[in-house]
Amino acid sequence: MSELITLSKSNQRPAQLRQEDLKLQFSERGVKELDALISHYPNKKACILPGLWLAQREYGGFLSGDAIAEVAFRLDRHFAEVEGVATFYSLYNAVHKPGKHKIEVCTCLCCHLNGAWNLRDHLVKKLGIRHGETTSDGMFTLEEVECLNTCDRAPAIQVGSNYYGPVNEQQMDELLDTLRKTEESTVVQYAADVVKVQLRKNEV
Amino acid sequence: MSRLDSAVIGLGRSKLPFSMAEYKLLLEHSKDPTFRTLDGYKAKGGYTALTKALTMERSAIVDSVKAAGLRGRGGAGAPAFLKWGGMPKEKKTNHYLICNADEGEPGTFKDKELLENCPFLLIEGMTIGGFAVQGDVGYIYIRAEYMDGAKAVRNALDEAYAANLLGKDILGSGLNFDIEIHMGAGSYECGEETALMSSLMGERGMPRLKFPSAPFPVVSGVFEKPTLIHNVESYSNMPFIVNNGAEWFASLGASTKNSRGTKIFSVSGHVNKPGNYEVEFGTPLRELLELAGGIRGGKLKACIPGGSSVPVITAEDVDRAILGYEEMGEVKSMVGSGGCMFFNEHTDMVKLAWRSALFYANESCGKCTPCREGTRWMVQILERICRGDGRPGDVELLKQVASQIDGRSFCPLGDAAAWPVLAAIRVFPQEFEYFVEHGKSMVDSIPSLIGVP
Ligand SMILES: Cc1cc2nc3c(=O)[nH]c(=O)nc-3n(C[C@H](O)[C@H](O)[C@H](O)COP(=O)(O)O)c2cc1C
Ligand code: SF4
Ligand code: FES
Repeated sequence: MSELITLSKSNQRPAQLRQEDLKLQFSERGVKELDALISHYPNKKACILPGLWLAQREYGGFLSGDAIAEVAFRLDRHFAEVEGVATFYSLYNAVHKPGKHKIEVCTCLCCHLNGAWNLRDHLVKKLGIRHGETTSDGMFTLEEVECLNTCDRAPAIQVGSNYYGPVNEQQMDELLDTLRKTEESTVVQYAADVVKVQLRKNEV
Repeated sequence: MSRLDSAVIGLGRSKLPFSMAEYKLLLEHSKDPTFRTLDGYKAKGGYTALTKALTMERSAIVDSVKAAGLRGRGGAGAPAFLKWGGMPKEKKTNHYLICNADEGEPGTFKDKELLENCPFLLIEGMTIGGFAVQGDVGYIYIRAEYMDGAKAVRNALDEAYAANLLGKDILGSGLNFDIEIHMGAGSYECGEETALMSSLMGERGMPRLKFPSAPFPVVSGVFEKPTLIHNVESYSNMPFIVNNGAEWFASLGASTKNSRGTKIFSVSGHVNKPGNYEVEFGTPLRELLELAGGIRGGKLKACIPGGSSVPVITAEDVDRAILGYEEMGEVKSMVGSGGCMFFNEHTDMVKLAWRSALFYANESCGKCTPCREGTRWMVQILERICRGDGRPGDVELLKQVASQIDGRSFCPLGDAAAWPVLAAIRVFPQEFEYFVEHGKSMVDSIPSLIGVP
């Protein structure tokens, strides 16, 4: 990866990415969808956010350097620019490879008042991981997040595209069991859903 | 009638809080699943407003926004007319519309319900807007967590396109208007309108210069083109204004100084029936609490009436507060985004201030120093106090840091971080002093409130 961000000449901006340096992995469908998404905006740059969601789906839930480079290449942007965007937003998994399922526990005001800390402590004990960590079998990632804006259902959690709440410890355990048996990664599924809702019916 | 009588009646009408129940305008059919489909929406009178609007003069629609007295529901409560009227009358370039559905203010979940259950209200409202200000494309910026809402809007958009209610030559009127969904990726700051535009243009969600350092969005907004940006609830009011007339709309909330129509409040915290309640402006805050089934787990202690960014008020103030933009100022708080949280007597205000400060520290975009450093500093001080290691003078220091952020940051997120902390210290100073002095809370918290990491 590092050769992609080396400067072509001193004091110059990074060189444009070249196809021969990249291992492009987008599926045919992914490329078509990206083209449809690009058509929603007056320029390609505006498609960076949707493009990253698409890459998150295509690359199995993790935006590796290769994934970011592919988005940058397909949108004619520099690597550093796209990486900068990817690392700003909390829902892009650009820094750590997440587990198969990401459990996002809301610990913000209302959930805080309604016992989110107990739920969090329960998860920490049960899974043996803390905020931002992934279990050694790669099954779960735990994350403490800010308000999910479903405070009427506090304490609330998000897993993939779904909200759950109010959740108690027993329901949490049941959910973990269900997730363990789920074939598909809810992280990838979530990215797929985000891409899908941005496309019109005739564009899919 | 004697003069005395009429004076008494006059007084009764304006001063004494009178009883009002829920007033369901936007949420009237929110429990009806067919309302999410085009047929069901039309059966309830949907799209009559757009049909009517398309026969009206553009300027007449803009005037009715003014006459209706609609104010933005996104938080600041700015008159919507300023934006509608500010859009260029003569079209020289593309015009854009944006719907701000990046609801992230802790305590607020009204847009979520509107997106999930009444997507057509938003789409019809935006299309009316597209006609009135000659828009080409409308973007609905939805936070990525709101998948249910986004799916409902997607289905609604697809149905609208199929029925020629969007796209080319809408209903044979010659109007071309597209609506696209743009999903966020997890950032509260992207709710701020200029940051949202940065994010929509494919950048980090950082705010841009505002007037007077830069032109208003209606002159140069997203993609440097004239842009009309509103909250979901603001647009969703448009079908009612067009259909029922501006005068009718302005008669709602007429008891208040300058707030018209209805407002959806998301009630949560220690209440028996948390949820969204739509009331007319001018309703006493107390009644909102009663609608939500009253307080649970003890007596009422405090309330944050408009989302975490607005100052906290005491139980006494809850009794006299009237829901209205100016009226809430009398109890030194705001309507904000309508995220109304009630707290019972076991709530520790110091920990609440800590949690609120932590939210802003986590969500600060990092562009300007007062907010980036100040929010972190506030968290450090509050964390120290909550651990029992508070030092003498910490409360003073906290006040000082907060007031250095307030008014000195690049965007209102900094102010929003400072206000709740300053208000908590102003309203409950004894709790802070006690915590610093004794190293423990003055309130006997129920166990679920204790855990501080
Ligand atoms: C930090 C911050 C976050 C905001 N978040 C939101 C939001 O989630 N939703 C929203 O509609 N407005 C939000 N706003 C207000 C917007 O900047 C803007 O005022 C609003 O979208 C304008 O729409 P309106 O005229 O309909 O109120 C936020 C403002 C700030 C400063
Ligand atoms: S106040 Fe400054 S650091 Fe905070 S969110 Fe706004 S621009 Fe970013
Ligand atoms: S505080 Fe958890 S959903 Fe709002």
